[in-house]
Amino acid sequence: MIACLCVSALLSSLLLGSPGSAHAPAEGARSEKVLHLPMRSAGPGSLDPIMGSTVYDNRACVKVYEQLLQYKYLKRPYELEPLLLAKMPTSDDGLTWHFELLRGVRFQDDPCFEGGKGRELTTDDVFYSFKRFVDPENELKNWWLLKDTIVGLDEYKDEQTARVEAGKAFDYSAPVEGFEKQDDYHFTIRLKEPSYSFLWKLPMFQFSIVPHEAVEHYGKQFARHPVGTGPFLLESWVENKSLTYVKSPTYHGSTFPTEWMPGDEELGIEQAAGKPLPFVDRVEITMFVQENPMWLEFLSGKLDYTQVPAENYLEAFHKRSRRLKKDFKERGIVSHAVPLLDFIFRAFNMEDPIVGGYSAKARKLRQAIALATDLYEFNSTFYNNTNIIYDGMIPPGLDGYPPDGKGPVSWLDHDVERAKALLAEAGYPGGKGLPVLDYYVSRSGNIPEQAELFKRQLSKIGIRLNVRTLNFAQLIETINRKKATLFSFAWSSDYPDGENNLALFYGPNESPGSNHFNYKNAEFDALYEKIKSMGPSPERTALYEKMRDMVMRDTPFIGSMARTRFYVVNPWLRNYKPDETFYNWVKYMDVDESRRP
Amino acid sequence: MWAYILRRLLYNIPVYLGIIALLMVALRVNDPVWGFLGKNADQEAYEVKKHAMGLDRPFHEQYIGFLGELATFDFERESWTQQGRTVGDLVADSIGPSLAITVPAMALTTLVALVIAILSAYTRGRLPDKFMMVSAVLGMSISFLVYIIFGQYWGAYVLNDRLGTEVFAIQGYESGLANWKHYCLLPVLISTIVAVGYDTRFYRAVMVEETNRDYIVTARAKGAGKGRIMFVHMLKNAMIPIVTRVMITMPFLVMGSLLLEVYFNIPGMGRALYKAISENDFPVTEVLVALFAGVFILTVILTDVIYALVDPRVRLQ
Repeated sequence: MIACLCVSALLSSLLLGSPGSAHAPAEGARSEKVLHLPMRSAGPGSLDPIMGSTVYDNRACVKVYEQLLQYKYLKRPYELEPLLLAKMPTSDDGLTWHFELLRGVRFQDDPCFEGGKGRELTTDDVFYSFKRFVDPENELKNWWLLKDTIVGLDEYKDEQTARVEAGKAFDYSAPVEGFEKQDDYHFTIRLKEPSYSFLWKLPMFQFSIVPHEAVEHYGKQFARHPVGTGPFLLESWVENKSLTYVKSPTYHGSTFPTEWMPGDEELGIEQAAGKPLPFVDRVEITMFVQENPMWLEFLSGKLDYTQVPAENYLEAFHKRSRRLKKDFKERGIVSHAVPLLDFIFRAFNMEDPIVGGYSAKARKLRQAIALATDLYEFNSTFYNNTNIIYDGMIPPGLDGYPPDGKGPVSWLDHDVERAKALLAEAGYPGGKGLPVLDYYVSRSGNIPEQAELFKRQLSKIGIRLNVRTLNFAQLIETINRKKATLFSFAWSSDYPDGENNLALFYGPNESPGSNHFNYKNAEFDALYEKIKSMGPSPERTALYEKMRDMVMRDTPFIGSMARTRFYVVNPWLRNYKPDETFYNWVKYMDVDESRRP
Repeated sequence: MWAYILRRLLYNIPVYLGIIALLMVALRVNDPVWGFLGKNADQEAYEVKKHAMGLDRPFHEQYIGFLGELATFDFERESWTQQGRTVGDLVADSIGPSLAITVPAMALTTLVALVIAILSAYTRGRLPDKFMMVSAVLGMSISFLVYIIFGQYWGAYVLNDRLGTEVFAIQGYESGLANWKHYCLLPVLISTIVAVGYDTRFYRAVMVEETNRDYIVTARAKGAGKGRIMFVHMLKNAMIPIVTRVMITMPFLVMGSLLLEVYFNIPGMGRALYKAISENDFPVTEVLVALFAGVFILTVILTDVIYALVDPRVRLQ
């Protein structure tokens, strides 16, 4: 039977080629504008926003779905603007937020609707989409984004979970105290405590507004049949291979931004300013598990842009100047450097009997290890000196990031002698008396090689490491169980606000929560509760800095680093300003098909 | 023969049960749920997922349940990372692209290796034999990855650039015979070049061993020509090790070629398994490995049956 299956699979694979699937471009293909974009992964896991979590889920979803707010495409530091709203939400106290929906926004035409015609988006759709966070059917995958946030939502979740466990259906019509509908276009959301970060969450793709008809009609298959209000419709999704979108004929319309940053003019955006979006007819995304074929496809002109793989960095850029090489420039290729909101660190488990604790001795031991660590050597050895090294946990570009990356409490200056002195003060002169420390790392990428460098650096002050290489699942499980003495980890900000990174040190978030350091400091916790409700202001920035330095003094981690990602863009692609904080920029892209080879 | 097959199948049932038990234990040593949920997961989400997947049930219940699924070919478990897709869907979609590469590659490799091995054995100890064997060892000594990277660069990127037309795709896959040459021939050639060295050496060794047998001396004494001895008598008697080698590769054909599929973006079984393992897609990994083990056992039994077909001295009892 298996042989039959194999033979039929082979025959069907060879014989059942879809018409027009041949590699040669079809006649007249140039008459439409098509984007050819890479996705450096095997692709998304789901196109149901509530089930998504990865960058790839995000990129795939936001072409079809929209959220209440979005990031301004060209503005830095990041700013929010309305997307499905008529204006920005307002609040007098940070507790009660008032929203007004944009009128005339319709869901894309789909068989799930009566007569196949998409209906208008209303307040009920917003509440329905937010209630999906607590539906056990959705495995509470993104519940962390709304937990303890909206008045009555946690209670609604418990009631509905009890209903489901009793064999009844989840009741989406049941009220949530914090959701108040004024009419189809006006509503209010009441929060449990004043929170500014709530607004930062609204542009996240998990907060996409979906129609209940599509969820009910497609059931589990909704993950593969997205129905949104966005600029594109999903045409096809070939697993592990490609995603194809076409322009939505019912898109409510938006226009290219008219405000930008100095230097953005080089993108040629003046020509696009104020023009209706999207510019292209089709978007074809190819998935690449390996970077080498992605790079060759870009060089052969089959991709409009690509991220520069680390292995090809020196092929494209001069090492010292970091400028694009002449042959690339001659082909009209331009480059972009995008600093990521990374917090890459080596962490101490603050509950560990040896390296943890808050005594002066324990602190000195951690500080000695931090001073013995030469992050600049890591940067030159593994990252072509392209990473940004900084003090603290707040990445570059955000409030709370120290000027030039150097904070008042700093362990960045590699100083072996001072490290030795601190180690002696900690009671371990020359490392004597200190047992071999278990250092847990993931086996992905060059992390094991980095661990060897770290081991060598610490050996200079007499500290011995036992490197324990695990796969990511094992690593996170070990950390969650508070069993890792010292470990290598990274955090990519969920939204561009330092509060997100400060939350990693908030006591109640201890493992298995996001506070993997198990750091506990009552003063820090009190300040964190205060900043949660504060919008951007000098006062809030001062508190961020105070909290950052407070943690730095206790030294629960060695760090930090943020990656810079380099992109190269072919000359026919227009208006592209690469960014890795949000991903709905495809609608802004344009392509000059006449320049494509 | 049927009694023999049935008996072998029965003997192998405990082996398969043991493999499945080991597989399930191995996949549960480290909690698959935490690894899957990632950085933002909390205990509640963990419990919900664990319950939804039945991983909170006693091990023996999970074991019996999984065996039931395998016995009834029920591959309806949903992938963790590809929502809305069952393991059965993944296998059905992936097996064709894999076979489009592996079957031609295996056929071509076997054919080329056999021809070279026979020629090599025929010219044993002479220059052509030495040249072919040195080439085979050289070919074997270079990593598969090097062949792929060079193949993509020179065989596709540079070649297409120089010719001004696209002969081979750098990456990608489309079904259909019309697309096969464009998307699959280069990976097939690379796979053949890599494998042919190993197979040639093995087949040559088999052939050389056969040349010392009594029946060859008898054939020579009876006046049979060198060619007849080689291609009729010797090749037929060398079929058992050759069949063994070919058959042992059969399960791997179904599982695809991981490196080729990953580098050439061919959405086959190897890539599906790679994605499942790297993204902690627990149900897909569990089912694919169990299927592979099953296919392997069946292939071993089938190999014994084929022995009897190619060699009348072998009796299935």
